[in-house]
Amino acid sequence: MKQPALTEGLRRLPAADKLLLRILFGAALLALILGVLAGAGTAATRGGFVEPGPLSGYRMMTAHGVNIFFYWLYFAQAGLLLVLSAVYTVPGGHIAWRPLAWSGLATMIAGFVSSAYAVAAGLPLLYDAPPELAGTPSPAVAAFYLGYLLLAVGLFCIAASAVATVLKPRFDHRIASWPVVSFAAIGWAGLLMVSSIAALNAFLPAARWAFGLAPMPSEYSVGWHILFHNMHYLPLMATVIVWYVLVQTVVGVKFIFGSHLSKIAFSLYLIFVPPTSLYHMFLEPNLAEAVRVIGSLLSLFISVPTVTVFLVIVASLEVHARAHGAKGLFGWIGMLPWRNPAMAAMGMAVVNLALGGTFSFVLIQEKLAPLLSDTFFVPGYFHFLTVGTVTLTFLGALCYVLPELTGRALWRPGLIAALPYIITAGLLIFGTAGIIAGYSGVPRRVLDVSYNAAAPVLWTALMAGIGIGGLIMAAGLLTYLFALLWTMWPAPAGETARKALPAVDWGGVTPAATRAWVGPLSVLLLVGAMAVFTALAFEILQSLPLEAGGAAGGH
Amino acid sequence: MNEDIILLVIVFVVWAVLAALYATVPMFAMPGYATVWGWGSLVFLALAALMAMAMARRRAKSSRR
Repeated sequence: MKQPALTEGLRRLPAADKLLLRILFGAALLALILGVLAGAGTAATRGGFVEPGPLSGYRMMTAHGVNIFFYWLYFAQAGLLLVLSAVYTVPGGHIAWRPLAWSGLATMIAGFVSSAYAVAAGLPLLYDAPPELAGTPSPAVAAFYLGYLLLAVGLFCIAASAVATVLKPRFDHRIASWPVVSFAAIGWAGLLMVSSIAALNAFLPAARWAFGLAPMPSEYSVGWHILFHNMHYLPLMATVIVWYVLVQTVVGVKFIFGSHLSKIAFSLYLIFVPPTSLYHMFLEPNLAEAVRVIGSLLSLFISVPTVTVFLVIVASLEVHARAHGAKGLFGWIGMLPWRNPAMAAMGMAVVNLALGGTFSFVLIQEKLAPLLSDTFFVPGYFHFLTVGTVTLTFLGALCYVLPELTGRALWRPGLIAALPYIITAGLLIFGTAGIIAGYSGVPRRVLDVSYNAAAPVLWTALMAGIGIGGLIMAAGLLTYLFALLWTMWPAPAGETARKALPAVDWGGVTPAATRAWVGPLSVLLLVGAMAVFTALAFEILQSLPLEAGGAAGGH
Repeated sequence: MNEDIILLVIVFVVWAVLAALYATVPMFAMPGYATVWGWGSLVFLALAALMAMAMARRRAKSSRR
C-alpha cells in the first residue's frame, strides 16, 4: 500500500521542524490535561459529588475554560496548520521562516504561563474575563489579559510562518499551482491572523486598564463577541480541513467533485464569518430591532460551509465504497476502517457535530437567545462541538502526526479506537442532562443550584447526570492523553518500528456515476431536528413559571 | 486571474463591505465590528496580493526561458 502523503511528508521533515512541532503539540496536550482535570472537578462540583467552596469551584471552572477553549484549541491548531502547510505544498517541504515560528511558540507559551498564574493567584474571572467582574486593577488581572494578548501575538507569528511555508515554494518556482490543502491552510492562517487582531481589539483596552494606564473599557463585551464569533468558526474550519486530510490518509480518496469545488467549500467559511456574527449581540439591550431581525436571518447561514463540506466528504466516501462493492443504503459505512483511531474519532465527531449543530440553531434564534443563553443549555450543547467534534478530530489527527515526529508506534491503537465511543457516551449523558436542564431554567454559571432545597427536584437529578457524564468524558479523554503522551516520549533503544494503522485504499479508481443518498438524507434529518427542537424550546419555555432577565453576557 | 486569488478577493470584498456598513450605517453603529472586519479584509487582500506576486514571478521566469 502506498504511503499516505501525510505520514510520508512528516517523516521527511527536517529535525528542527520536528522539534518545533513536538514542543507545540506537547504544550497543547499539557493545556488539555489541565483543562480536562479542571473540567472533571467542575462536573463533580455541579453534580454535587464534591463541595470545594465557591472560590475553588469557580477557579476550576475558569481553569477549564481558559486551558481548553484558548490554549488547547490554539496550540493544536498552530501545530496542525504548520504540519499541513509544510507537508502538502511541496514534496519534501519544510517550515519557512522557522525563527518566526519559534518566536510565536515562545510567545504563546509565555501567554500560557501568564494565564496559569492569573487563574491560580487572582479572582476567578471565567474565560471571558469581564473587567466589571474583576472590579479593580491588580497584577493577577493584568496577567490574565496579558496571557491572552501574548497568545494572540504568538498565533499571528505562527500563522505568518505557515503563509510563508505555502507561498515560498511558488516564489522559488518549485510548484506550478497550490494543492487544495495548501489553499485551505492559507485561508485558515488568514482567519487565525484576523482572530489575533480581534483578540488585541478585545483585550488591549482591558489590559491597559488592568495595568493602571487607562479607565475601564466601556465596550468590552462588543470586542469579546467579535472575537468569540471567530473562535466559534476557526476550530470548525480547522476540523473540516483535518477531515479532508484524514479521509485521504485513512481511506485513500480525495473529494469526488475535484479541487475547484473543494477550494470553494473551504472559502465559504471565510465568506460567511462576518455576515453571521450579529446573533452574539442579541442580549445587548440597545440593539435596534431591525438589526435583530437581520441578524436572526443571517444566522441561518452559519452552518452552510460545514454542511457543504460534510456533504462533499460523505458523498466522496459513499461513491468510492460503492465502486468497491458496497451494497444497501448504509452498507458502505461498515466498510470504513473503524479500528483505525482516526476513523473512529472522525465518525464520532460527525455524530457529535450533528447533535451540537442542531441545538446551536435553537440557541441562535432571536426570541430564544435571551431565554436560554444564561442557562445550562449552553454548556449542554457546546460540549458536543468543542469536545465531541473539534477535540476528537484533533486527537485523531495526532494519532498520525505524533508517531512520525517521535519515531515511536502509537500506544495500543485498538484501545484508542474505542475511546471516541466512550467519550461520546459521556457526552450524551452530559449533553442530554444539560439541555433538559437548560430547558428547565437551570442557571449556567451557578455551582450549587439547590437554592437551599427551594429548587425543583428535577434540577438536582439533572445535575447528577451532568456530573456523571462529565466524569466519563474526562476519563476517556485522560486515557487518550496518556496514549498520546506515551507516544511522544522518546522510544527506548530497539523500539523504533512504526506500525501502520488499519486503513483501506479506495484511491486510484474512477467511480462510475452512482447515487449517494446518505449525505442529503442526513442534512434533511438535521433540518427536521432543528425545527422540532426549536418548536419544543418555545413550547417548554413558555410554560415555565420563570421570568428571564437577559444579562449582557451573551453566549 | 487564478481561482485561488479570485476566491481570496471575494473574501476581501465581503469583509470590506461589512466593515463599511458597520462604520457608516447608524443602525449598526458598532465601531468594534468595523475595525476587526476592516483589518480582516486587509489581511485577505494582502494574502491575495502575495499569491499574485508569487504567480507573476513564476510567469516571468517561464517567459524568459
